[in-house]
Amino acid sequence: MADLEGQDDGLRKELMERVELMEAMICEGREATCRCGWIFVLWGVVDLTGLALNWELPHAMWVWPVVIAAGFLIQAVGLARARRRPRQRTFVKARNIGAVWGMMGLAVCLYVAAAMIRHLTWQLSYIAGILMMVGLAHAISAAILRWRVQAAAAALWWAGGLATYFVQGKALLAIVIADMFLGLVVFGLYVMFLERRHETGAVAGHV
Amino acid sequence: MSELPDLDPVVHGKLRLAVMSLLATVVEADFPWLREKTGSTDGNLGAQMLKLEEAGYVAMEKRFAGRKPQTVYRMTEKGHDALAGYVAALKGLLGEVL
Repeated sequence: MADLEGQDDGLRKELMERVELMEAMICEGREATCRCGWIFVLWGVVDLTGLALNWELPHAMWVWPVVIAAGFLIQAVGLARARRRPRQRTFVKARNIGAVWGMMGLAVCLYVAAAMIRHLTWQLSYIAGILMMVGLAHAISAAILRWRVQAAAAALWWAGGLATYFVQGKALLAIVIADMFLGLVVFGLYVMFLERRHETGAVAGHV
Repeated sequence: MSELPDLDPVVHGKLRLAVMSLLATVVEADFPWLREKTGSTDGNLGAQMLKLEEAGYVAMEKRFAGRKPQTVYRMTEKGHDALAGYVAALKGLLGEVL
């Protein structure tokens, strides 16, 4: 392949301009976000609502299935509305991350359903399993995005999962609530804040 | 313009390269977004998108977002390969500058 040794500076300059153009466009493209912060907030609220109802009605078997079904319904409506919005774009990495969270959600649903059918939801390993799965999804997202904030969220969930084997009673409940509040609600609000900041950012033409 | 061996002329066009770089980062993008990001005009962008379509580097789909018609583009596998080939050729030409 030919190189630019001895060729005119004009050609080199033109090629360098192309490189800079590609870098600028890739940066612009990466600012295209999928609005997903609300989904974290939604599931944080759904989970905390489920916990509260379960606390008030400890023997009601309908609580979690109803609360989770309501969560899926609200999410489906929200996603359908988002798809109708004009100029919707999805960052390639967002699709990969969406797949991770979707499969994690499916795994948790199957896991919870099986545990409820067998009346094993009182086991510490059951709670630990859920916390570790959510932490895993956060960790994979963090690795894909190379994002320390989400890595911290993953660490929080994993710490909660491990702590279930060392604490019991109200302390365990406090850990689960803290994971749900900080790792979903607060994290989701932070993501929404970043999304809003991206959307209001100025856009400059490059070509 | 100087002679540019090994560089795909379809990709090398400034606006076409900008569009392909943008489309490489998103699953799909609509026409107004591409126009906004590249700072180009409707006519120029439309003409360049047609060239990319004819080369098989992008696929166009017309659909409705609510009641509004929407033209959406996505990069094809051939387009991804072409862009990767272009980057490799650029690296070869620029050598250690990159």
